Amino acid sequence: MSSEEIVNSEAMILEIQRMSTEDGPGIRTTVFFKGCSLNCSWCHNPESISKQPQLHWVGNRCIGCKSCLDVCPQQALTLSESGMAIDRTLCDGCGECAEECPSTALELMGETWRMSDLVDEVIKDKVYFDKSDGGVTISGGEPTLQPQFAAAFLKSLKERGVQTALDTCGLCSQKALEIILPYATMVLFDLKVMNSERHKHFTNVGNERILASLDYIVGFMRSHVHPKTLWIRTPIIPGATDTEENIRAIGAYIAEHTSQVVERWELCAFNNLCLDKYQRLDLAWAFESAVLNRKEDMERLAEVARSSGVNPEIVHWTGSTRLENDSKPENNATDPLKVVNKGCMTP
Amino acid sequence: MATALAERSENRIKEPTGLSDRIQWLRDYYFEGNKRPWNNQFSAWSTGTPWDIQFSEFAFYIVPETFMLLDPLNGSFQQSARNVDLPEGFWSWRLPERRSWFVKEVMVNHVPREVLPGDLLAGARFNIVTSFCFNAEERKLYDRLLFSKNGARAQMKWFHDHGYGNAGATSGHVIPGYERALTIGWKGIYEDLEEKFGALSEMDKKGPKGSQLQAMMTSATMPKELAEAYSVLCFEMSEAEKDLERKGELLQMAQNLTRTPWEPPETFWEAVQALWMTHMLVMSDENYPGAGVSFGRLDQYLLPYWETSRSRGMDREFAKEILKCFWFHCNTAYDAMIKNGNQGITAGFGQLLTLSGLGSGGKDMTNELTYIMLEVIDEMSPILEPKPNVRLHRNSPEELLDKVVEMVASSQGAPFLLNFDERSMAGMILEGRRAGLTHLINEDNVHEYAPVGCLENTMVGNDRSGTVDNNLNLLKAVELAITGGRDMLAFVDPLVGKPEKIRQDGPKTGDSSRFDSFDAFWKAYEKQTRYIVQKCVDTYELSESTRARLFTTPYLSCLVKGCAESGKDITQGAAEISLTTLEAVTYATTVDSLLAIKYLVFDKQQCTMDELRQALEDNWVGHEKLQAIAKNKAPKYGRDDDDADALGIKVMDCWCEEAWKHSTKSTRRQYRPGMLSWNYWAGDGYIMAASADGREQGQFLSNAICPSNGADINGPTSNANSVGKVLGGKAADGKGDWEGYLNPLPNGASHTITFNPSLLKDPEHAAKFKAFLRGYTENGGTALQINMLDPEVLKDAQKHPQDYRHLLVRITGYNAYFTTVGRELQNEVIERLSHSRF
Repeated sequence: MSSEEIVNSEAMILEIQRMSTEDGPGIRTTVFFKGCSLNCSWCHNPESISKQPQLHWVGNRCIGCKSCLDVCPQQALTLSESGMAIDRTLCDGCGECAEECPSTALELMGETWRMSDLVDEVIKDKVYFDKSDGGVTISGGEPTLQPQFAAAFLKSLKERGVQTALDTCGLCSQKALEIILPYATMVLFDLKVMNSERHKHFTNVGNERILASLDYIVGFMRSHVHPKTLWIRTPIIPGATDTEENIRAIGAYIAEHTSQVVERWELCAFNNLCLDKYQRLDLAWAFESAVLNRKEDMERLAEVARSSGVNPEIVHWTGSTRLENDSKPENNATDPLKVVNKGCMTP
Repeated sequence: MATALAERSENRIKEPTGLSDRIQWLRDYYFEGNKRPWNNQFSAWSTGTPWDIQFSEFAFYIVPETFMLLDPLNGSFQQSARNVDLPEGFWSWRLPERRSWFVKEVMVNHVPREVLPGDLLAGARFNIVTSFCFNAEERKLYDRLLFSKNGARAQMKWFHDHGYGNAGATSGHVIPGYERALTIGWKGIYEDLEEKFGALSEMDKKGPKGSQLQAMMTSATMPKELAEAYSVLCFEMSEAEKDLERKGELLQMAQNLTRTPWEPPETFWEAVQALWMTHMLVMSDENYPGAGVSFGRLDQYLLPYWETSRSRGMDREFAKEILKCFWFHCNTAYDAMIKNGNQGITAGFGQLLTLSGLGSGGKDMTNELTYIMLEVIDEMSPILEPKPNVRLHRNSPEELLDKVVEMVASSQGAPFLLNFDERSMAGMILEGRRAGLTHLINEDNVHEYAPVGCLENTMVGNDRSGTVDNNLNLLKAVELAITGGRDMLAFVDPLVGKPEKIRQDGPKTGDSSRFDSFDAFWKAYEKQTRYIVQKCVDTYELSESTRARLFTTPYLSCLVKGCAESGKDITQGAAEISLTTLEAVTYATTVDSLLAIKYLVFDKQQCTMDELRQALEDNWVGHEKLQAIAKNKAPKYGRDDDDADALGIKVMDCWCEEAWKHSTKSTRRQYRPGMLSWNYWAGDGYIMAASADGREQGQFLSNAICPSNGADINGPTSNANSVGKVLGGKAADGKGDWEGYLNPLPNGASHTITFNPSLLKDPEHAAKFKAFLRGYTENGGTALQINMLDPEVLKDAQKHPQDYRHLLVRITGYNAYFTTVGRELQNEVIERLSHSRF
């Protein structure tokens, strides 16, 4: 691409989160790309899976003006006492209703960003990156699905002295990694389930390609200056990834394949704050009634991880755990005070 | 319930720790509030004339909550005042001499003296309301200036009722020259006054100058005589004391008080005792319980005494107990109206102390005493007074930041305000230049600045800059630009319910419905801004000139450089640096309203100006869709959106330039700009009409330099970046006023950010927070209040206020007990926390 083409190239971005403290070291701005190659049944960001912009309706913002109904070219919207119904077979994500909606009750998730605008946007926090050894993380969704843009974006940041992180699920082509990795200061890599059949059961695909990606990244790191740092992240999902056997197996793999390279292995506790998102996207969620891990469970699994063959010092666990005396999970999805740690669970 | 919640919450309410029995007792005793047998409530004292008056109401013109109480307070002080026998010739003296004699007489010979159990400092009651010492003629003049049809009170009320803000000559808000008082003792101050008096011509000796200096000499002996009287009390108590250790303490206190504060203190205990006695008498002298009478850089000027005493074997923990007693005494200022309850006017007095900061040559001045005082704050908090302010800069040591972050993590928010030196000093350098005071404020001494009250930057010991005296709602100019200079809503007298006729108040800036561009609207806004600033200056002049003629504070004048030198009182503008500050209120609401007008009427043509005006007059009722667009779709300040913030910069330039154009007529005090909002953004939200940003009448206005409620949807870094940007950021050519920094507000600007407590959940995150503060030093404003609240705790506190008596919240840089603020303000704090859309 010519430099002008690069400046004007575009990507489908779900969200830009500033002062993110959960997606790598320091203070970061995390850019969530839209579209994912995996389809984890527990996904905490269901709106990040489809590459297409998606409409949702946030009921408590709606003022009932019905402006949206008239502007929808597909007549996909119906407002009744039970709320807004979006006919997903009709809605093509054109966004006209969201543009019209005065209260942002209707929102189109997913926005096209021009490279130069995105760079300008994230560079605003450079001072905070510099003071904290932080930087910019590209996450998702799966940023490697838009590899040319991702690579050029990170390159542009690197040229401006910003440290960069690629957060990936690993289900991507080697070619994508090949062009992105030289511009990533670090990689955040998700390892979810070690048993490939179980991996397929929960995510629709086996983990062979993912492990190959990890091996490629490790090999790349051993022969190049960048990336310098690798963090492995494992979502601890009740009934899916939270067995001692799984953690031991992941640990063994990390110990065998990534030694000297991996700096941290994070176990990220399951979180149910995304329930509302599923409802707003008219999707069912298999983990709707799953209960948050207890603190003891997380500590026990972290202990298993530490004794799995990896350097015990690299093991950390993060995320919210069940409040004591709570018999059932809280649904705080309507409570904006509870902030979801988005990057913790890359789908 | 509440207890259970507090236990399971990671963000439990801070409890005091490490208090010795005596300190625990004093602290608990303080919190017994009006159940205490002892208190420091105002006592009133009269000359006994039928025309006597005691209450200096103009000091409360900036407290709208008290307007209804002015007459009752005047009356109750008059009725409860005890008569004081006057000496012969009293009425032949000039006013300052009468007043200084009277205050001293009351403090030394009439107000009872006590030393509380275990207390290591003497000086208990100091809240007094003393006669103005008027003769009949002076009282007539006072009545005319204040109470006539166009007098100060009526003008002030008009200004407030019509949504402009408030203005009044307020007491306090100064850092007296405490360091000098300790260094040379009151004896040194007295001798200096004597010398200056002696140098006057015979004519001047008999004139106002001589009288002022005589009055100041009388005042200068007040601390001596009061200390001697307390010394006698301590001695008597020691005689009766059975406990040997306590007996020894009382004897030492008696000794301390025979020497100091007349002689310069030598030991740490003497220095703290001398400081307390000197300080509390400022509050007595002004009849004003502490608001903004600030200590300056306490960790700097107490350090020599600390080092001396430590080298002589003073126990570290005992020294902290002395400081903790000092903390206790500062809080008793709040007793002034204790029987009226602990709400409203007694919330947030602001005896501010400053810790750390830059020295000369870019040196960091953090010292051992800085950390000792932070320990004391940590162990005593939550407690309201004195309010600490920690000065940070680019080279603040890691250890200090670690301590700061640790204290933020363990409290429910920072138990101090952070002041940022580079940005603040750039503003003070600007002030030196614009006010023609470069001989007093320049690159060599600007590091000596310190904040008063909440965060208002001033120089020390020679500066009174009226930091709370003029509070102007910038938003009024937007309203007047829409209407062409008339109130949008008629003022309705709440007592009789009758609307006033709407008049042409501001300039006729034309029919806004005919404006064909936003630029045309902007021109009208500029003219109306010019008008409201002028109106504020005119309103303030009335109380300022009254105070200058009829109210002197000779004791405070002894402690402020420029007064003895000129033979004038500080109330006459005698401080070397005598400015007054125009504090802009409603900044973000103003910027957002202008952005909304541009967006709705001109850029997107969602409505006409007439439709918008109608919607505002209807308080948005029936215009809900337009209101939602204004709230949710129009751009807002505080999101690090360069286009929106550019208009913010324009607004800032516009009103700041107007401020610099003015000076008080009676006292020649130059106006300077600042941004403090105290609590006006809450109360005035009910007075001001709906605004174009989607705000309804009755909803809060924006606070100081903070973005509007809920507008900062992009988080703390974007919020801080916007604030720094509208303060001028850094000079493009690198040539700012201090190391490349710019700052149009020498006073500084109050900025509060509420953080999610999860940000400090472990050391790794604490390090990120520390880095945020380093980043704020580069990109942010002059001062930052950190709130770190769990909304669940706050909601529970609303339901069970009795269980949360000590829960502190910080608003606009002043602290308040959460359960004592109004419900709306409580809801507002909860809402802020969410960072949600509004």
